[in-house]
Amino acid sequence: MTEPDRTEPGAPGHVARPFGTAGGWPVADLDPVRRLRVLAVGVRGAHVTEGFVPAPYDRVWALLDDLEGDFGRIVPDMRRLRVVRRDGPRVEALARSRYGMRAGLRGEQRPGWCWLQSRFLLIGVAASPEGTGTRVAFTGGVRVPGRAALVPLGVRREGERSLRRLTGLL
Amino acid sequence: MPYVSDDETARLVRAAQRGDTLAMAGLLDELAPYVARICGPIALDQGPDAAQEALVAVFRSLRSLREPAALRGWVRAIAVREAVRLAGRAGRTLPADLSTLPARGDPQLGADIRDVLDRLSPEHRAVLVLRDVEGLDERAAADLLGIRVGTVKSRLHRARDTFRKAWSS
Repeated sequence: MTEPDRTEPGAPGHVARPFGTAGGWPVADLDPVRRLRVLAVGVRGAHVTEGFVPAPYDRVWALLDDLEGDFGRIVPDMRRLRVVRRDGPRVEALARSRYGMRAGLRGEQRPGWCWLQSRFLLIGVAASPEGTGTRVAFTGGVRVPGRAALVPLGVRREGERSLRRLTGLL
Repeated sequence: MPYVSDDETARLVRAAQRGDTLAMAGLLDELAPYVARICGPIALDQGPDAAQEALVAVFRSLRSLREPAALRGWVRAIAVREAVRLAGRAGRTLPADLSTLPARGDPQLGADIRDVLDRLSPEHRAVLVLRDVEGLDERAAADLLGIRVGTVKSRLHRARDTFRKAWSS
């Protein structure tokens, strides 16, 4: 294992120049919805559907966090999703579509964030508090196998459907 | 940037370039705090927008990065450029006005770096961040910003002077 370079900014134990660095420097926070916008840019054909939901973040995320339950009522074709393994934020799940196809999904789930991929599917969901409500964002669709690209069919419609279903459950 | 070994970073970059979206997410985890630390002091209120725009530019062009070892410098340059651009667009290019700095004894003075940064232009803040947060030398800062070394020196002098006067008034 390589020893960390402590002279490198950001390395453990790095001591920045003493001038003006004694805490208090503003830091630009990248909330989960912004994260999703960024990642979607790297996925060709992806569309981000975003909306403001007039309900508190905790209530909204409680629904989206429930992978084997409400998540499947919100994200199209994820009704039969079963988590087979969890390790911290890492998740492995098995999804079966209504046409009988199976997808072994892997990814991460943490507060405000869920990103899952299989060889043929990609699902991204994010939520961040906004005023008295919540901003939510969806992306994903049928993946060009193994690539950071989606088949550009229905990506917009699916996201809008997810947003409507979520609003309907609140 | 949170410390991740160069090998692990290179592996993430290569996997992300091959289309593994989980590797892309891992790379974003690594880059976001680093970009946030650069964009925050330069773009101030526009910091989150600048961080987002910088990372959008990074992920849009990730395939063009040939050498993973160049990642950090490449991301740094994009983050500074986007932070200066968005701060400038928001009309934050007011010249330093030391007469409105908090008075001696103001309890905010010692703690509020933000208040002093507010009195500097985005270009001055960029020089300050590159030298005093990122630890670049004047030549490297000048190259990154596309300005002369002398300009870096004068901007740095002014920025530090603003801090010094605020701290000692």
